[in-house]
Amino acid sequence: MGNKLHSRLTTASGPGDMTRRGFLVSMTAAGVAFGFPRSSVAAMDPAAADGVPITPAGDAFEPTLWYWIDSEGQVNVNIIRAEMGQHVGTAIARILADELEVAWESVHITHVDTAEKWGTMVTGGSWSIWQSWPVYRQAGAAGRTALVEAAAQKWGVDPTTCQARDGAVSDGTNSITYAELVSAGLERSFTEDELKAIPLKPHAELRLVGKDVTALDIANKTDGKAIYGLDAKIDGMVYGVPMLPPTRLGSAVSSVDESGAKGVKGYLQTLTLDDPSGTVPGWVVVLGETLMAAKWASEAIKVTWNAGDTSGVSEDDINERSRQLIADGTTGAILPTETPDTTAAFDGATDVLEAEYSTQTVLHFQLEPVNATVFQNADGIWEIHTGNQWQSLILPTLSAALDTPADKIVMRSYMLGGGFGRRLNGDYTVPAALASKALGGKPVKLVFFREDDAQFDSPRSPSVQKLRMAFDSDNQVVGMEHHAAAGWPTGVLVPSFMPKGVNDEPYDPFAIDGADHWYSVGPHKVRAISNDLANKTFRPGWLRSVGPGWTNFAVESFMDEAAKKVGIDPLDFRLQHLKAEGYNAGSAPNAVGGAGRQANALRRVVEMSGYGAADLPADTAIGIATTFGQSRTMPTWTAGAVQVHVDRNSGRIDVQKIWLAVDCGTVVDPDSALAQCEGAALWGVSMALYEGTTFENGNVSDLNLGTYTPLRMIDTPDMEIAFIDSTEVPVGLGEPGTTVIAPAIANAIHNAVGIRLRHLPMRPQEVLDALKA
Amino acid sequence: MLKRILLGILSVAVIAAVAFAVYTYKPTIDPVNPDQLSEFDPAVVEKGRILAGAGYCATCHTAADGAPYAGNYAMETGFGTIYSTNLTPDVETGIGTYSQAAFRRAMHEGVDREGHHLFPAFPYDHFTKMSDEDVDAIYAYIMSEVAPVSSEQKENELPFPLNLRVLQSGWKLLFADLGRYEADDAHSKEWNRGAYLAEGVAHCGACHTPRNALGAEKSDAQYAGAAIDGWIAPALTSTNPSLVPWSAAEFKSYLESGAAIYHGVAAGPMGEVVHAGVRELPEDDISAMSIYLADKVGAAEDDPAQSEAVLASLRNNRPDAAYRHDLGERLYATACASCHYNAEQIAQGRPDLGINSATNLEDPTNLIHVMLDGVSAPEGIPGVVMPGFRHALNDDELTAIAAYLRDKRAGKPAWPDLSKAVSDIRSQRASVH
Amino acid sequence: MIEFKINGRAVSVDADPQTPLLWAIRDEIGLTGTKFGCGIGMCGACTVHVGGRATRSCITLLEDVAGTEITTIEGLDAEANHPVQEAWRNLRVPQCGYCQSGQIMQAAALLQDIPNPSDDDIDAVMTGNLCRCMTYPRIRKAVREAATAMSGAKDNG
Ligand code: FES
Ligand code: FES
Repeated sequence: MGNKLHSRLTTASGPGDMTRRGFLVSMTAAGVAFGFPRSSVAAMDPAAADGVPITPAGDAFEPTLWYWIDSEGQVNVNIIRAEMGQHVGTAIARILADELEVAWESVHITHVDTAEKWGTMVTGGSWSIWQSWPVYRQAGAAGRTALVEAAAQKWGVDPTTCQARDGAVSDGTNSITYAELVSAGLERSFTEDELKAIPLKPHAELRLVGKDVTALDIANKTDGKAIYGLDAKIDGMVYGVPMLPPTRLGSAVSSVDESGAKGVKGYLQTLTLDDPSGTVPGWVVVLGETLMAAKWASEAIKVTWNAGDTSGVSEDDINERSRQLIADGTTGAILPTETPDTTAAFDGATDVLEAEYSTQTVLHFQLEPVNATVFQNADGIWEIHTGNQWQSLILPTLSAALDTPADKIVMRSYMLGGGFGRRLNGDYTVPAALASKALGGKPVKLVFFREDDAQFDSPRSPSVQKLRMAFDSDNQVVGMEHHAAAGWPTGVLVPSFMPKGVNDEPYDPFAIDGADHWYSVGPHKVRAISNDLANKTFRPGWLRSVGPGWTNFAVESFMDEAAKKVGIDPLDFRLQHLKAEGYNAGSAPNAVGGAGRQANALRRVVEMSGYGAADLPADTAIGIATTFGQSRTMPTWTAGAVQVHVDRNSGRIDVQKIWLAVDCGTVVDPDSALAQCEGAALWGVSMALYEGTTFENGNVSDLNLGTYTPLRMIDTPDMEIAFIDSTEVPVGLGEPGTTVIAPAIANAIHNAVGIRLRHLPMRPQEVLDALKA
Repeated sequence: MLKRILLGILSVAVIAAVAFAVYTYKPTIDPVNPDQLSEFDPAVVEKGRILAGAGYCATCHTAADGAPYAGNYAMETGFGTIYSTNLTPDVETGIGTYSQAAFRRAMHEGVDREGHHLFPAFPYDHFTKMSDEDVDAIYAYIMSEVAPVSSEQKENELPFPLNLRVLQSGWKLLFADLGRYEADDAHSKEWNRGAYLAEGVAHCGACHTPRNALGAEKSDAQYAGAAIDGWIAPALTSTNPSLVPWSAAEFKSYLESGAAIYHGVAAGPMGEVVHAGVRELPEDDISAMSIYLADKVGAAEDDPAQSEAVLASLRNNRPDAAYRHDLGERLYATACASCHYNAEQIAQGRPDLGINSATNLEDPTNLIHVMLDGVSAPEGIPGVVMPGFRHALNDDELTAIAAYLRDKRAGKPAWPDLSKAVSDIRSQRASVH
Repeated sequence: MIEFKINGRAVSVDADPQTPLLWAIRDEIGLTGTKFGCGIGMCGACTVHVGGRATRSCITLLEDVAGTEITTIEGLDAEANHPVQEAWRNLRVPQCGYCQSGQIMQAAALLQDIPNPSDDDIDAVMTGNLCRCMTYPRIRKAVREAATAMSGAKDNG
């Protein structure tokens, strides 16, 4: 991991890095410079039938690198985020179009290919809107200001008497379109200070933000025209399928016998990959003229490996390791909570509540299996055609694998057939690049069949957590501890991205966020522990909400357990501790209001669901939970209620209804926001009840839908989702909905039949066992 | 079509053969020169084409990848493999030298032009019921429309003494009831027409009637159901296990289109029966066959749509949110129901697996075949396919689905040794890749 | 050479007869709207119509479709305005969109057989189509909306 990448990554955590990049406000005569030659499909416009973005008509005014306006008034917005179902381009373009004051009909989007000038390209962490909001607003405002000034100058009037609207400027008497202004040519530059001083529109004048507009990527997703990585087509390409080694790391090929494949028509050859980047050790790629030729050949080829030393590792082994590490008090990082030292609190406690929670391995199972098409174009540039969420992370690895400077590699941005964090880890591009490299740059399309995709997944790590709460003689909470052990995605893939705890140990925020909650509980120790056995057995992945998927299951189940222990309703107990004081008071710009807003979301969901008031049939109950979404730095105040019925005979947990109340600040794209919450909540149900594989012999044991069983249509409960009105900074929505569901279900089960389930997924057998106990 | 036929000769028959040596002798019929054959009436040729189809002549006389009627279709008899003869009018290797009389004798008596007895894999015991006129029509069709192809018949792979053709005459004497169809006055004209077709050219009993140890149809068990080519030909009697009794209308739909709403589609060997021929018979003939077969099955003519069996099956097919509790039910809900689920009534093309014959038979063979290899476009409803799950689901998963269908949908006692049946049938057809 | 019709066009494909129809459609014929998800008939992403019936193309062998008429998402409606597609756009069903060709083809077939589906009917038929983005609530609504639109169209002659 080079230093340059390091600095780029570490600044990606906030919106700041995008604004620091200098604005260039000037006239450009040419079209958009992509910094590399185009030899096939250019960067993607998901609204165009062939995916090819528009080119400017005549001269274009390109006030910043984020967009241009052409002489016909068409606006092209450059999007560096991956489109994987969030309609992110639409949301970002509308932020810009709103400030720029152009009609939505003239707006186009381009999902750009990688280039140095874009800075860090990553789509994850539910950051996209949050990070883009200030940048694209400022960019739009700069363009509007330049256009208004140009018009005012033309008419010899004071710019403050002019108004921009719908792609035109007027002063009451004169009117001129942006198209005319651009055609006439305009020149204007801003200093950094001037830029900052440009006034943004007041919230009340936002015309596109928060309104219902048609997402630009939708139509092509209903007629088969959207182009995904798997659809990439390059003249002369051959197909490859991988043969995976017995362990993710540390395996080496000892022999390959391809004699069986000789008779397969269309079989080309078998490559034993030589990977200087160390990403795919022990890999074999089988090539064919057609995909099935490669596949059938691979079934006839015999490879023997010297397996790595994790070939015997099981899920139990990993969890046992977690328990060992938790028991050993010296391991892990202590998070910088307000008062991390809980020794005195627990020593002086009258009573201590303690519980262990665990969660099973979860697969991404994004519907489009990972794939990549790679070749070296006529200009010597390596083109990587694929869908990816974190181009900036994998480019240096590709550079090492191809032994080529990173600026000689470009990644094309295709639509993603699902991301959910799987494509943050771009490891799947590496074997494709190596195969092409072995063929001297010939195009290779590497396709993972589903079973390979599952085995090669970067799954959500299994986790074990121990929670403790100290009470005084009045049953008041006087301290809390949260010890969480799991595989660390960031620790494995971007260690430099990890902040340090108070004990100077680094930690993966993605594996512990959520444990550092907004409840005021006195001294609060949060200890994040990296499970070394997990980390070397597989590549732990970021998976939709990552750590908050398990930390909140523990915290929010535990809050109910604690409330019941002291005989207070779990709702009241929570509200009593969401005090918005001190560390939990919140701060501008991202967390204004702090725990108070979380309490508010909770009250709202209680109102919606009738929690505590509804008269429900036997073995049926509502449970509640509340979280702050992804992290303290970008809290999305979320509260959920779930009504379940538990069948005492079969152990089946029937999720009957879900209510969500979400305060995400300003809602930029209401319909997509709703869609994200619907999907997130259902992911929550799926991971709470239906998903979960286990490691056996060093690999996940479920490779396809015969045994891996995500939620389907028939499992889909009714949902009611409310957004709390707010004009605060818009924060992320892709993940928060998932985080409240599992604990709300666990709490509902307890309310319904009195059993406490502390393991995800919650399967019928565990219900039956607990009912018997 | 008659691959399963036991070439019915055991040592007993050797003795019989000697005893009936005189009976055995059949003279050669003089060859004809096909060039000298007079023009056939086109209407007769067309009739012959349809009847040849209804008798599936081409099915058994065409090798995989071979020219139509050129023979060498391999029939696995259980005693060894025999190859069908070249039926094209080729003078050297086919039946180009057959006169009409020689062809009639072959069809009616199972004796070739040179006087050799034919193996009863050739169902002359059925064709014997056909009228001279119908046999002549087939002759006319073959001689005028089928392209002559030179193709030597492969040597049959039968052990001694089964390979002795002379012994076939003993079999014939014991089991074959030679002679034209005789009308049964107790029944209608249509019934008799149906019987004539079903017993004769269509030779339904060849598959649907069980055979004795010597490979002859058991006359006292006509249409009682039998195994054929690794599939089950269900009973066409009152013992037919369908939840909805077969009716003339169901038979008619099945024979015309390859599918009957309340029973299923014609797949496996039956696929060819329908599509290679029977469905081309004139509508009146199909109706007649349907009336005859319905009578054999003893069908009631109530509207099946209102039958309790159908209504119960539809109730049972409602989606159940508890579907995950059983592996078979879960797999069915996720891999099968999208095509097999029915709303208020069973729709053509959405076979309801609760009442389907495949799930109600005492033997799971047919169901397993279809689950593994599907139904290709020429089978079942023409132009529609059911994909096979051979490469998609493992034996345990297929077993679970079959067990679920049997138990929860058909409501019948579990099939014994189901999982072994699944793996046996899977291994019968090795994958090419 | 295996011949059939796809979206009204006669094609002959020169590929191994055992090739799954899906790959013939995508790689040989070049229509990539039909997607690959699981390869075992359990996600529905590859759903096309064969002879008018929804069919999982990933487990359908090329040799089995000789002579048939196949419709893919690209051919469902010449203007991409099949009532199901319209409903999908109105309700903004797609998220990543990857499953949606299959969902739409399945829903169109569903409405042919069951023009006025209940929620149970929709559950039973659409449960075979996995949507990893979990757009199920919108699919359910869109199927109903398309049903209404189609029966309205029928009533108006
Ligand atoms: S890809 Fe065909 S059903 Fe999943
Ligand atoms: S929209 Fe993404 S899988 Fe369905």
